[in-house]
Amino acid sequence: MTIPRVQVGRVIGLLEVLQDFEGKVDLAKVADELRLELDDILPAVDAAKLLRLLQVNTGDLILTEDGKMLLSKNASGRKRMLNNTLASLGEFKGVIDFIKSDHNGEVTKDELVRFLKENMPDVDSEQTFSWIVEWGRYSLLLRYDSGSEKIKITHKGAGLKE
Amino acid sequence: MTTQIEMPKLVELRNVTKAYGSMTQRPQVVLEHINFTVRQHEFISIVGPSGCGKSTLLRIMMGLVKPEDGEVYYHDKKISSICDAMSMVFQTFALFPWLNVVGNVELGLEGKSFSKEEKRKRVLDIVKVIGLEGYEEAYPRELSGGMKQRVGLARAMVSEPEILLMDEPFSALDPLTSTHLREEVLHLWADPALPPEAVVMVTHNVDEAVYMSDRIIVLTSRPGTIAKEIHIDLPRPRDPRSSELYKLVDEITGFIV
Repeated sequence: MTIPRVQVGRVIGLLEVLQDFEGKVDLAKVADELRLELDDILPAVDAAKLLRLLQVNTGDLILTEDGKMLLSKNASGRKRMLNNTLASLGEFKGVIDFIKSDHNGEVTKDELVRFLKENMPDVDSEQTFSWIVEWGRYSLLLRYDSGSEKIKITHKGAGLKE
Repeated sequence: MTTQIEMPKLVELRNVTKAYGSMTQRPQVVLEHINFTVRQHEFISIVGPSGCGKSTLLRIMMGLVKPEDGEVYYHDKKISSICDAMSMVFQTFALFPWLNVVGNVELGLEGKSFSKEEKRKRVLDIVKVIGLEGYEEAYPRELSGGMKQRVGLARAMVSEPEILLMDEPFSALDPLTSTHLREEVLHLWADPALPPEAVVMVTHNVDEAVYMSDRIIVLTSRPGTIAKEIHIDLPRPRDPRSSELYKLVDEITGFIV
């Protein structure tokens, strides 16, 4: 699955904890420090790995150069950095391409959920839709209006300059 | 900060006492004889056991709650109603579910005499600063706890308050999210171009208080009185796992329990 399935804030929070440990720490120690179960941290670890922000090596979490760079940026810089990465992830890119294939760059929630069901039959497509909205909004690739249930590609998502 | 003494006073609490129930029958005294001053460029935390009146103290500072005795001064002027130079961030976010992010943030400008366009511009500016860009049209139910509290923060900051009050702002968040949001708040605080001039935060988390503050006020349990004031002179940015920090945490925890 190449769509992160965790809140953005948790991923960045995890990177910040890693930075406090000078970029390398045992996963079990992080869990212990934060009084969290491993199961509560793993989704953030998986997402950070997917986004190439950290590496896992025999139980150690290691901040990558990308991870360090992300932490050094302000809010807008982080969004810009992640929109490049997200747009290059297989399934996330597939979703972007699907929305782009509409001539207005806009599809309804139902259409996208149907697309997800067909292409990723093993995962809960409603939930995946929510994660796409979360990361699409954060990275400024997508906009979603829950009133009209329309999800739309932004100029950034379409690869255009704003 | 070594020049703290010379910094101008923003808010001063003089002999503040708060009680519930009539003063003639058996009143529940929540806060008693509270005296302290908030100065420019200070990040203050108020810590203490639960029920010590920490949150009530913030509400009294802002003029939302009237003390039974004592006064609050803002720039040496006695506060008699809600002081609009202060704004508050709440533990449970206090967002309106029927308004989207922009609508909720715009509430922070209620009563200000800006034009509609000016209000919109200010809202979009702060939304960007607080990292909410991209979420403008999202409704609270679509947001994670961390994002909801960012909306709470943006709503408090949009009026460019001189003093930002935060009531347990991170305690409803999971540990990873709160780590992240604490960093963001410190980042904003470190930026001299941004308001506020001072922050007063209520928290029960001593680690958090030591990590973030210039000064910590420790309250006793009911009735809340000031047990101790501690200046935290550790340089910033701080290492949350340094031995100096742990030592202070131990010391302060000792005053509470």
